[in-house]
Amino acid sequence: MRRSLPTLVVVVVGLLLLVDYVLINPTLAGLASGLLELIVLLAAAAALAGAATLVLRHWTDLTERRRDPLGSGVLLAGFAVMLLAGFYPGSTGASDPAVRWLVAALLAPLLAALFAMLFVFLLTAARKGLTLRTRQTAVMLAAAMVVIVLLLPIGGTVGDSLAALSGWAIAVPIGAVFRGLLIGVAVLTAVHAARILLTVDGADD
Amino acid sequence: MTDAGAAPPASGRFRGRQRPRGMALWWPALLGALSIAVLIGSAAATGTLQLANPDQSSVSEVRAAFEALPDDALVVVGMDADLGTYPEIMPAVRAAFDDLLARGASLAFVSVSVEGRAVAAAELARLRSAGADADALLDLGFTSGVEAALVRLVSDALPAGASGAVADTVTERGGGLAAFDMALLIGGGDVGPRTWVEQVGTRLPQLPMVGIAPTFAQPELVPYLRTGQLEALLATVRDDAAFVESVAATNGEPATAGGSPSAAAMLLGMLVALAVLGRALVGALPRLRGPAPPQVTEDDEA
Repeated sequence: MRRSLPTLVVVVVGLLLLVDYVLINPTLAGLASGLLELIVLLAAAAALAGAATLVLRHWTDLTERRRDPLGSGVLLAGFAVMLLAGFYPGSTGASDPAVRWLVAALLAPLLAALFAMLFVFLLTAARKGLTLRTRQTAVMLAAAMVVIVLLLPIGGTVGDSLAALSGWAIAVPIGAVFRGLLIGVAVLTAVHAARILLTVDGADD
Repeated sequence: MTDAGAAPPASGRFRGRQRPRGMALWWPALLGALSIAVLIGSAAATGTLQLANPDQSSVSEVRAAFEALPDDALVVVGMDADLGTYPEIMPAVRAAFDDLLARGASLAFVSVSVEGRAVAAAELARLRSAGADADALLDLGFTSGVEAALVRLVSDALPAGASGAVADTVTERGGGLAAFDMALLIGGGDVGPRTWVEQVGTRLPQLPMVGIAPTFAQPELVPYLRTGQLEALLATVRDDAAFVESVAATNGEPATAGGSPSAAAMLLGMLVALAVLGRALVGALPRLRGPAPPQVTEDDEA
């Protein structure tokens, strides 16, 4: 069985955090706290590295006129504007009015518009899905139609009945499915983590 | 839907390209109708149209959790909404802030997601400009690492240099999330109440948690509500609208900003969706009765 350095690190860190979770020990707590600090720093460093890679990639695309130079230019310009707003002398960073304006007046509406287009895309995808996988898509769409009917924003007795039915649907059949999913995911995660920690068969490769 | 037969010959301004037909003509009409519905939405919100959930149980649970808070309570706001879904929950989130501040609670904002940090900064600025007591607000900032960050916040939530009345109280109470009387968790696509329950709730089971999340997150959060790990949850537009109405009725004034979406626009969109899906299903019925198609083809006409 091959033992790699990353596996060793994962096993040691995992066991240490697990023991710290179940035992109250100041020394262990200090060690675990130090490790968490390190993980937080690593995550920040990974985010910075990702941003730097993104910029380099699109800078190369722009200068060498590859792929989508216009898109790369827009991305780099957006990146530069946001950095400028957050780092100009006297800026207060993420809470600076310029950054807040860029987020509230530009980024948020753009993303909300993209999400709003899901309405159109989903309906189009549903029609295409019926052509590709008729039976499966038909079942899914029939269920979707029932959910839409239950969520119709109408008042009166009919509205009250629909609301009660939708509450029941969420609490009983849908809730049962998701409880099962969550339990299944948790069990599989625990099993996988245990396999890594115990370095069982090929889980460490 | 698709029309059988060849497209009519293009002429006039459509010369050289295909004339729009079928579904392509419906989208502009739908956009126009939705715009009108949004404009008249508030006027049409009568007994016929009702966005607020008549079942007030979710609202009652949230308000009961707020009422159970001690005087001068400290509430940590786990703001991890994303910019795409935040507009859906924004009215309820803002109503919750209003309600908590009206009860004399102090709010400390912390984020472990980048977009959540942007939303938190905007909400803090809005609350300050709306006249909220500066001593009742604290910015705990952003911590990278998501799960690791949440575990770290359990023991150390205060960033270096944090000052003010709220920061002093948090320091006196140990400096971690245990210093707070409640966690109000604003969820988004990636991080939200579930992550908090898993990472913080297991370590601080005594910390009451209330969640506000977009509709798509509701099914995965309901089990945590049933187990009591989440004390209360608002995760549908209906419950959000009912909560906004409830807070406005109690506080004697409308929520500070961001009213609920137009019920008329939602109804129109849902009816259109039902019509399109119903017609597609009816069109697929002959194929459902027969054997599975031997060859997969794509219909690009939409």
